[in-house]
Amino acid sequence: MRLRLFSSMAAMVIALGCTWVAYPAVAQQDQPIKIGVNTAIQLQVGRDAIDAAKMAIDEINTGGGVLGRKLEMVVADEGEAATEGPKVGIAAVNKLTGEDHVDVLIGGYDSGVTLGELPHISRAKTIFLGIGSASPAIQQKVKDDYEHYKYIFRVNPTNSAKQADGLIDFIKGKLKGELGYTKISIIGENAKWVQDIVPALKKGAEDAGLQVPVAEFFDVQTADFSPIFTKVKDSGSQYLMIILSHAASDVFVKQWYDAKVPVPIGGIDVKGQDADFFNRVGGKAISEVSTNFVLRAPITDKTVAWWDKFVKTYNRSPVYTAGGAYDAVYIYANAVAAAGTTDTDKVIKALEKTDYVGVRGRVQFDELHEVKDGPGYVNELFVQWQDKGERKVIWPKEVANGKMISPPWLQQN
Amino acid sequence: MVQILVYGAVISAIYAMLAVGFTLIFGVARILNLAHGSFYALGAYGVYALTADAHLPLWLAAIVAVSLVACFGIGMERVLVRPLRRSTLAVLMITLAVNLMVEQVLLLIFGSEARNVPSMVGATYHLGDVDISGQRIVALSGGIAILAALWFFMQHTRLGSAILAISQDAEAAQYMGIPSDRIYSLVMGLSAGIAAAAGVLVAPFQTVIPGMGLLPLIKAFAIVVVGGLGSIPGSIVGALLLGYTETIIAFKVSTEWSQIVSVAAVLLTLILRPAGFFGKRAAF
Repeated sequence: MRLRLFSSMAAMVIALGCTWVAYPAVAQQDQPIKIGVNTAIQLQVGRDAIDAAKMAIDEINTGGGVLGRKLEMVVADEGEAATEGPKVGIAAVNKLTGEDHVDVLIGGYDSGVTLGELPHISRAKTIFLGIGSASPAIQQKVKDDYEHYKYIFRVNPTNSAKQADGLIDFIKGKLKGELGYTKISIIGENAKWVQDIVPALKKGAEDAGLQVPVAEFFDVQTADFSPIFTKVKDSGSQYLMIILSHAASDVFVKQWYDAKVPVPIGGIDVKGQDADFFNRVGGKAISEVSTNFVLRAPITDKTVAWWDKFVKTYNRSPVYTAGGAYDAVYIYANAVAAAGTTDTDKVIKALEKTDYVGVRGRVQFDELHEVKDGPGYVNELFVQWQDKGERKVIWPKEVANGKMISPPWLQQN
Repeated sequence: MVQILVYGAVISAIYAMLAVGFTLIFGVARILNLAHGSFYALGAYGVYALTADAHLPLWLAAIVAVSLVACFGIGMERVLVRPLRRSTLAVLMITLAVNLMVEQVLLLIFGSEARNVPSMVGATYHLGDVDISGQRIVALSGGIAILAALWFFMQHTRLGSAILAISQDAEAAQYMGIPSDRIYSLVMGLSAGIAAAAGVLVAPFQTVIPGMGLLPLIKAFAIVVVGGLGSIPGSIVGALLLGYTETIIAFKVSTEWSQIVSVAAVLLTLILRPAGFFGKRAAF
């Protein structure tokens, strides 16, 4: 009798113990995996990042989620870097990690803001998948102090140093190689990331045998570009390479068009990547070439279908952060599935082994957790605004889907 | 050389329009209006909304936008500034608040992305070897016409004389039966209308964003310090000086350095001649 009582009690204790041990796992199983999106919700780069992340999350949830758990998105506003600096972004990151307890952060669009957020992300021990900032200094942190910054990955875009290499390739291959240009000018806004690029571009162009009579900076507040256009025109340059991000791209393009400057323009124009940029400047961006990382072109098997779905769902064309956000959600979900857990350290190890073909190319990370570029990987595309606001990829050759056109006033009849 | 003359004239005309309104309201009502840049922004957004959303012809949209902003200026003076006019600090604060409010409202309605206002004249003209857009010529001639009309109004109408009388001695003018409150409202309306006209004229070749009023306010401030706060001729001379200096530096040195001109001009003026070129007394 006593033995039976003891056996029953022992069985109850074991059962209770098992329940106790299993409870957190069951409870966690019911909890969604939280995807924090920190971005500038007032800007198209932010709105598109949010919508694209949501699209990926909905697709994954429709397929049953990850490890049987649904994904859930939480958004926090990073504010506008140009006027508010990094403080709003830092507050957004602290809210997502401290209050919402997200499992991963996907976002960032301004390098200054992202650099300001890094110590906070590291302190919160939360994985960050960057989708907009380009400064090499961000990923350099991973190399300099892996233990503190192993959480930081850049999914999109390629860093500004690699973008400079892409521009030099465009200068050599397209401008000199195909069009036979011998003289180009380079101008850029006076910002840290541009100060690094312009001398590198000038050297690259001169090494390729081109003359660069004008290579200078202008203030981001510049409202009248006539003196620059006059200098470039008088120098006899055949192409004007531009590096613009925070400066007024619309003013630049409108004044270039209105003055019928006899020199085509192209380069990095971040606002010129916006899908509605052509309409915003009244069609005056015609023939401007701007780098981009995603477009409705067969970059991978997924690109066109994803692009069309985004346009159908949100009634607008996506910008580069959208492709980054969409891929980032899948990359994180795959890493969690591979790790079999959301445990940060295990997911980081899985992320480091990422080999994923997304909508912008094949994604792998190097030792700095930087997205790899080059043939077969994520690449900088040279996209030209053409008639009726249509965009065509004109470089690199492998993915080009259109021919380069001249400004209307330079077209020969 | 021709380039500097032409582009310098355009920028000076715009600066003069901004500075004249700013100095007029100070000279007459002693109001340092920090919402002056908002009038400029509202003019530009007004013409944008009336062309893009209401589909009015550009010239009609321009007239309607300027009139609406002038009414906004009158309303602002009547409702917000007049009750606080005895305190210079309170007026500064309320006009700053209007400036911030306008910027936020524009941001909420139109978003932060730049908006496009079509050119009134799309053609490009050649003056010697200078290519200049038709819109800049419109801005130059429009600016000159508005300033000439203002001069005529001030010098040859009874209302203009009343404004000048108030600016010279407000108390004596009131004893003579001039309704000072109504004159202050009128001058605020004029000041707002001229700033809005500047916004309308430059919108096709400048950026139309919610924060676009800040730089013009700084320029207007610099010009009236140089020209003499309260002096209309001083503002015009200050605008020419600043406009041409900026243009010469942009063409001969670099556009990077041209932005520092207004700051340097203010510093030099405050050190060497605090009253400005045409001011009767130091403004600060």
